Amino acid sequence: MSHLKYMLLVSRQGKVRLMKWYAPLSSKAKNKIMSDLTSLVLSRKPKMCNIIDYSDHKVVYRRYASLYFICGISSDIDNELLTLEIIHRYVETMDTYFGNVCELDIIFNFSKAYDILNEMIMCDGSIAETSKKDILTNVSMMDSIENNDNLDRVLS
Amino acid sequence: MVASSLRSFIKDVRSAKTLADERAIITKQSAKIRTKLRDDHLSHSKKRINISKLLYLYILGEKTHFGQVECINLIASDDFSDKRLGYLSTMLLLDESQSLLTLLTNMLNNDLHHPNKYIVSLALTTLGSLSSNELARDLYPDVENILKNSNDSFLIKKALQCIAKLIMKDHTILEIFPVQILNEKLLSNDFILTHAVYLGICKVLQSMLINFEIFSKENDTTIILNSLSKIIPHLFQRLSTLNSKNLEPSYDVQGIQDPFLQVELITTIKWIFKIGNELNLSQITQFNDKFTDLLTQIATNTDSKKNAGHAILYEIAKTTFELKLDQPLRVLGINILANFLKVSADTKRSNSNNNIKYVALNTLIKAVPEELDVVQRHRKFILHCLYDHDISIKFRALELTFAIVNENNLLELSTELINFLRKISKSNYIYNSNYIDIDDFKTLIVFTIDNLISKFEIFDNNNKNLEVAKFKFDSLVEILKLVGNFINLDKINEFLITINNFQNMEYKIESLSKLLLLSFTENENDNLNLSDNVGLQLVNIWCIGEYANLIISSKKTNNKVVNEKSLTDYLIKLNDYHSLSNNNRIIQYILTSSLKMSTKISDSQCIEKLRQLILGHDKNPNLIIQAKSVQCGLLFDQPANVKNLILQAMPKFERKVVTPSIKDTFQSETTTKPSNRNNDLLLDLLSDIDDSKPAATTTKTGNISDSLFLDLHAETKEKTTVDESLIVPQEAVTVHDTSNIAVYTNAVKVSEGAAEIDMYFKAKSNSLTNLQTQCAVTKTQKLTLTQLRPGNDIKSNEVSMQTLKISGSGKLKLRVKVTFTINNEMINEQFDYKFSQSI
Repeated sequence: MSHLKYMLLVSRQGKVRLMKWYAPLSSKAKNKIMSDLTSLVLSRKPKMCNIIDYSDHKVVYRRYASLYFICGISSDIDNELLTLEIIHRYVETMDTYFGNVCELDIIFNFSKAYDILNEMIMCDGSIAETSKKDILTNVSMMDSIENNDNLDRVLS
Repeated sequence: MVASSLRSFIKDVRSAKTLADERAIITKQSAKIRTKLRDDHLSHSKKRINISKLLYLYILGEKTHFGQVECINLIASDDFSDKRLGYLSTMLLLDESQSLLTLLTNMLNNDLHHPNKYIVSLALTTLGSLSSNELARDLYPDVENILKNSNDSFLIKKALQCIAKLIMKDHTILEIFPVQILNEKLLSNDFILTHAVYLGICKVLQSMLINFEIFSKENDTTIILNSLSKIIPHLFQRLSTLNSKNLEPSYDVQGIQDPFLQVELITTIKWIFKIGNELNLSQITQFNDKFTDLLTQIATNTDSKKNAGHAILYEIAKTTFELKLDQPLRVLGINILANFLKVSADTKRSNSNNNIKYVALNTLIKAVPEELDVVQRHRKFILHCLYDHDISIKFRALELTFAIVNENNLLELSTELINFLRKISKSNYIYNSNYIDIDDFKTLIVFTIDNLISKFEIFDNNNKNLEVAKFKFDSLVEILKLVGNFINLDKINEFLITINNFQNMEYKIESLSKLLLLSFTENENDNLNLSDNVGLQLVNIWCIGEYANLIISSKKTNNKVVNEKSLTDYLIKLNDYHSLSNNNRIIQYILTSSLKMSTKISDSQCIEKLRQLILGHDKNPNLIIQAKSVQCGLLFDQPANVKNLILQAMPKFERKVVTPSIKDTFQSETTTKPSNRNNDLLLDLLSDIDDSKPAATTTKTGNISDSLFLDLHAETKEKTTVDESLIVPQEAVTVHDTSNIAVYTNAVKVSEGAAEIDMYFKAKSNSLTNLQTQCAVTKTQKLTLTQLRPGNDIKSNEVSMQTLKISGSGKLKLRVKVTFTINNEMINEQFDYKFSQSI
């Protein structure tokens, strides 16, 4: 089962581009995780495996161009290999949505990145939708409702 | 408009040249947002801009608490854009622990009944990620309502996920949750039943199962169980079709149909059977056979070339171990994982293969206790992983290797491990491989040696077999040559004991003389760097003291290089070298060795040199060495017959054999060793003779040696006399209390990352002898134990103490096992204790 604790998107320079916490943590704990993992993950060599033991849980990460996708998972419950697939599915979905997604897309449209993530992963980090098509349809539907509202407002 | 203003803020932050500039921009914006949000007359679009900026601040890691109420207010708006942003920001900026959540109740309640399905879905998502106990109780009926009345799979999947979360929050919901809705409405309606709805059903089932035991104590479980027995065939069916057919491109991952759902189904079914088998519920166990068939079927059908396929196979392997299924299935699981190792050994593509190596090694170790034989059949591939670039894989391979050592493969595995040590200890290895930093490298070596030695000890019983004994002896010598400089001096004692106790004198002397030869001709040997190999030097020193005469007289010794003179010079050279570096421990060994050697050689020049060496330390600033030098000097002047008796070679050293279970090696567990083993062999030298031949020594040596003995004894007994009157401090807490023993703990020091705890053992009415403790901490921590003070025999109502040093992180928890003897009866007691502090 998937039971993510958090998902962080960190640039190669160590800047956080997106963060989503699925477990309630104090801000002190969050900051510690972020600073620890940034240095830990950035220092990994390309040939190393994508799974790290960290504190009382495991961390699975994957790098796409200049961006690292980092997920915290529970040690015994989660499937590390599947978590890699979850990350990949998220990236694929964003890629279709933005059309060749790059780091800048995520920086400037972070709320869209969150929208897509929220359609895919719910509650305490469990995967709720696996169809790329469904996620994109629903996110675009909501986008168009928003646009129509805006149009109405301008016209009135 | 929202975009443009936010965009310029982001651009500003990004274009800042220095950190100070960036900070200035952020602080300015933050203050601006704060004032803007306070303005009640702010237009909706302006509000949205500011909340968006606030979210950007959140991502930057800035304080955002001042905007929380505004986020919630935004939800109350009728405008969809407002609601969407409001929900998004509420989910991000708030968490489940905040009391502000009560403000949400009414809004969520309204939105859950909204005609627009997207607004309902936003409310469901938010409730799912922010559900306090109150929210769970108040809003559950509304969510159930959606599940009952809606026919839209989009809403149903979200409602299911949400309900799963609410059940986790408040398990009493299970009493009212209409479980039959799962099979009656959802599973029988193909129109609604999308993959996502299936995921939702799995999630709800998982929540139910997690809470099943608590629930079953107070409630009737027939309804749930009956539903489960109807649901199980559906799950089987779906899993089977998913695995064999590939229909919808939208769910395809590298040629595998929805691995996410497949894994989720396997886990859910696993949990159902876990509960079913534990509580022996016939409604569930009737499907056992079908389940094992299905697992076998999936294991054969799944394509094992891609990561998605690996994920499914890995889940099956985990299931077979966790459910303690029949032996053939466990073997299936082990073979799956072994195959992971095999695949990655075959191909050169390393990155993704490293991940399957990692999970395979990590999971195989869990199967070792039950299926050691099956796992060790794959040792070839496990050993292969030792040479991986990735340090974490190296470590896991090592742990697993040590876990699978048994009597039959001991020789083979240790040969491999020594080869491994040989390879990584080559000085250029570190520089060539930029994957390992020097600290990890040291830990790796030390870990290997420590475990190898302890394995040798565990399988000590067939030492009568000369070949095996020779092999172990050779291995130790080889290890010493390769990585002696990394070995902790305490561990060297183990080497000395092994050398001392090795029965075949001829073979021993031959090996030792070779070792010395190697050390004397080190310059010609460029493979090994022996000059800073302190471990090897220490063993040489000791051997010279013990066996100088035998080595020199042996036929196999090359007397051109190894002779009385060169041995003496070697001691002198080391003495000079270590006097400079103040390595007092080595100096002590050198002193004893020189003294002993002086009785074993005949060249008077050399004997004089040795005398000078000993006397050279009589003004040493270190008192222990100074005393030792003086004592040795006095002994030196004794008549030969007295000296020879005292300075005989060591008798066989008896040690108590502890046989830790195989598991110990991979739990971070330290065992306290019987104290006499840790005692320094050389310092103990006299007490042994004293015990065995008291008559001889007292009659012949007279006054001087008597006082001498007292001195030497004082040194060894010093430790034991100091703490005699130990009492339990008042702040110590009782953690364990039985009729035999009471245990108290006192956390002396707790800081981030480290803690020091004193543990006191108090004997009750009977005296305890031979007390031994074994402690374990959680996996995230490491534990070091000191010896028991004053000793491991405790008279009635007296106290012994032991210090535990814990490093790592997490809650402080201990599992302690104490073993002791009362009136010749061995007693075991075990207890757990949780501290309130964590590190």
